[in-house]
Amino acid sequence: MIANSFADIEDTRWDAIIIGTGIGGGVAGRALAEAGMKVLFVEKGRAGFRAEETPLDPGLIDPVAREVRGFWPDRIRANVNGTEQEVFAPLGAGIGGSSVFYAATLERPERHDLDEVPGRPHPTGGWPVAFDEMLPWFDAAQRLFHIHGESDPLCDTPSPELAPPHPPSSGDARIMDVLRRNGLHPYLLHSALRRLPGCRDCLGHKCPMPCKMDGRSAGVEPALATGNAARLTGCTVTRLIRQADGGVTVEARLAGETRAIWARHVVLAAGALNSPRLLMASRSAADPDGIGNGAGLVGRNLMFHLNEIFALWPGKAAGFAGPTKSVGFRDLYFADGQRLGMVQAMGVDVGYGEIVHHLRGRVGRSWLRHVPGARDATRIPAAIGAKLMGTAKVFVGLLEDLPYAENRVLPEDAGIALDYRTAPELLARRKAFRRHIRRAFRGTRTAFLTQEPEPNFGHPCGTLRMGVDVGKSVVNSAGRVHGVTNLWVTDASVFPTSMGVNPSLTIAANALRVAAEIRRAR
Amino acid sequence: MNDLKDGIAVVTGAGGGLGRALAVTLSRTMPVAGFGRDMAALQETRASAEPGRFHPVVVDVSDFNSVAQGFDVVRTISHVTLLVNNAAIYPRRDFTEETAESFMAVVGTNLGGTVACTRAALDDMVKTGFGRILNVATFADIAPLPASSAYSVSKGAARIFTRALIADIGDRFPGIVVNDWMPGMLATRMGIADGLAPGEAATWGAQLALWHDVSLTGTTWEMDREIPPPRSLKRRIGDRVLMKPKPQARRL
Repeated sequence: MIANSFADIEDTRWDAIIIGTGIGGGVAGRALAEAGMKVLFVEKGRAGFRAEETPLDPGLIDPVAREVRGFWPDRIRANVNGTEQEVFAPLGAGIGGSSVFYAATLERPERHDLDEVPGRPHPTGGWPVAFDEMLPWFDAAQRLFHIHGESDPLCDTPSPELAPPHPPSSGDARIMDVLRRNGLHPYLLHSALRRLPGCRDCLGHKCPMPCKMDGRSAGVEPALATGNAARLTGCTVTRLIRQADGGVTVEARLAGETRAIWARHVVLAAGALNSPRLLMASRSAADPDGIGNGAGLVGRNLMFHLNEIFALWPGKAAGFAGPTKSVGFRDLYFADGQRLGMVQAMGVDVGYGEIVHHLRGRVGRSWLRHVPGARDATRIPAAIGAKLMGTAKVFVGLLEDLPYAENRVLPEDAGIALDYRTAPELLARRKAFRRHIRRAFRGTRTAFLTQEPEPNFGHPCGTLRMGVDVGKSVVNSAGRVHGVTNLWVTDASVFPTSMGVNPSLTIAANALRVAAEIRRAR
Repeated sequence: MNDLKDGIAVVTGAGGGLGRALAVTLSRTMPVAGFGRDMAALQETRASAEPGRFHPVVVDVSDFNSVAQGFDVVRTISHVTLLVNNAAIYPRRDFTEETAESFMAVVGTNLGGTVACTRAALDDMVKTGFGRILNVATFADIAPLPASSAYSVSKGAARIFTRALIADIGDRFPGIVVNDWMPGMLATRMGIADGLAPGEAATWGAQLALWHDVSLTGTTWEMDREIPPPRSLKRRIGDRVLMKPKPQARRL
């Protein structure tokens, strides 16, 4: 059911309210609705039109225009290493959340991402859910998202649900040859594009068909199709209200009206930057620092991946037009006893616009920001760069970030605000990562496009850490908030560590796992 | 959906002149609903159109209710995939002889009609993400002629509307292709006696209207050729330095 007002939903006894419709909320809601539960999705953003192909545009600044397109409307305030910046993060606000814009790369993490493995100690001692416990949920998530791709040749854990890859473009096949010649082990990335007839390769923009699998097409839409679910858009959850029985209800605002909505279970999936804000905003006499914040950990341990973006010129013989999209490798995932991360094709061409945006960001963060005209002056090197880049293939290394309590989302009601510092050990690993990347491509012309450490604001996680110890975590291993009987979290907030891969598959797998726990708790 | 022929075209001002010629030409390819104020004139258009392919609908485009009712009628036939905003009036009047009402009535038809019909047609197009909007435009706004203030202002505003519409939907619906077409000086009631025969211009207009290519959005065409956007001297020098190829104007 598509609900348009509070009146449309007040006659149903909801088994679960899902706050946020990204991958975490969409997948959890789908699993619950398919199990026969009555599910209400509450989404802050607009419904939009299904046929839209909108790309995420960091240059669009009008908040109404952003909202219409399903972008997070406001800038986030990020204090990075003591420098305050206000930026538009690559975040969505609409059915499907940020995932409708993503490049649909759903990679399974490595065993050592979750477990303490001999020779590979885990920074938190390991996730409370072991890799082997997660495996069936990774498989289920791969099935749900129609994941196609090749197994990582360096990995010995089989992926029985991974469908054979779509045939690579001739360019991708050639770039794999180049990588193999350098002794690397490339494979075709795990993609959630179904490649239905008319597929438009929707990397970085909304997919007008049920072809790219995301929080909308693999979550909310199949949930609505069961007849057990409803969605309410343009509805902002303002806080959670603690009940006498130890549970919570939801307070939400829609078209200027504020109401409490009751449900047996509340699933928080507003994303790792917003879920902690909502808990901190839910202060009361019973929960003076906010719900779930008895240990003062809500919002803390914020992690991002550091994006190491580099261009690679494969040489004339291997030169081809168009971006490479579907190639990745894990040779540098763990090296010299250190957690680094995987390397993958960016799926975009480096053109003039991208370079201008990138350079302006760098000017904005440097002393040059005080020089009048410096921002506009970036156009000249950008134009020259675009000419040189013509045939460059762009890759990104996702460097794992580790949890630090002082990196956190602030208890700020007005908007998203965060404090983040790059730890010395992170900078040391970054140096090693870049050295390994350079070495891996010896003999091939490469250039790093990132100079300063660049946190990927599109991959936030860790802010409601999952753990066994009540004093050291916010949610338990089942995904339920400590001390609250009916409040569950299914987004990347619960990740104890950021892993060396894109977070999407793990979010989906964990949402399925937590949904099973919710069904058991009925 | 990826074929304009799966739906119906709406041509405004189809009771005469260029609109009639466009409707007749388009009817050879797809069903056409022709909007006009005068049923007798629309029936004449039907007489020259492909048998069974032309549907006359009495609509005054300056009247929003009339436009809404017209589109309701069209939707009983098929969904709208193509809109040609052609209807316009060009009363010669010196501004000292205009009243505010007479001036704004022209704006109501030339700009208001385009806005109202576009808004209504988009209801169908945003559902599929596919469609084509061709706005018949002029250069009248660049150097307004005497006795043409209301026409120049309204047609100039309509060109701004094309760009504003693209700003709102261009990135979200690349499959809805929108652009302006200047038919040239025609031998119609609105044009000049020794102008081009409307049928000849309509061949180009219909061909352009039936051309669904994402790269056409935002382009301006005059008669049968593309008019590339003006480039500043700085731009031209910059492009030369960067050895960018000179933009090639396309032809029908």
